Amino acid sequence: MNSHWLVYLFFAAGLVGIGLYALLTMRNLIKLFIGIEVIGKGVSLILLSTGFAKGHILLAQSLVVTYIVIEVCLVATALALIINVTRHTKSLDVRKLTQLKG
Amino acid sequence: MATLDIVLLSGLVLASAFAVLAKDLIKAAVALAVSSLLLGIVFFRMNAPFAGVFEISVVAGLITVLFILTIALTRTEGEVRESKTVLRVFPVFFVLFIAIDALVMKGLTAKIATLPAAAESGTFGDVLWKQRTFDLIGQLAVILSGVFAVLALFRKRDKDE
Repeated sequence: MNSHWLVYLFFAAGLVGIGLYALLTMRNLIKLFIGIEVIGKGVSLILLSTGFAKGHILLAQSLVVTYIVIEVCLVATALALIINVTRHTKSLDVRKLTQLKG
Repeated sequence: MATLDIVLLSGLVLASAFAVLAKDLIKAAVALAVSSLLLGIVFFRMNAPFAGVFEISVVAGLITVLFILTIALTRTEGEVRESKTVLRVFPVFFVLFIAIDALVMKGLTAKIATLPAAAESGTFGDVLWKQRTFDLIGQLAVILSGVFAVLALFRKRDKDE
């Protein structure tokens, strides 16, 4: 069971790595947000696979369901923010936001 | 663990990588939906049908619709040019990361003690509504705050302003 858990952990770490790479290198606001989503997928995979390996799948499942609900709120708010920022700066480029620097 | 699980998980990682790297934003959103579909199937195979249903219906369905709506609303503002080195560096980064990842996981195999497994009783409903009663209120608060945040962001200006 332990080795199975490590296989799931291996793939989840891959997802988190891809998301971090996107967050560090991309310029498009929507691409940055896709990176956050990919990290979130990795985290929910870690949660559920740990519950699966420990035999606490029901508790892990309820945590993942909670996480998904919160993720939807996060997506709705963040995409609304992206639309407003785009209307303000006339571009999806995150570098245009440097005028917010104090 | 069957070979099918490995195939599904590899497909999940590849679809996510495509979602991050694709030039066309619509293709990226669809690749993200495919990756959450694969994640939902992995959840089903882990005996977690409720999480799988939520993942497929909400994340693959609703969030993709929201993404495509946003892309359509912001499309007129012109393309953002990503730097070319991002695409070139990614394979190197990815291979290095996977190699380090595999080495770390291999090193952990012997060191981590076997997780103590305990049988769980009851149904999903029991766990969700009886064990986790109080934090569901927090969940409701989060949903409401999301609604109010979207309302506040798209507020219209009053006529007398």
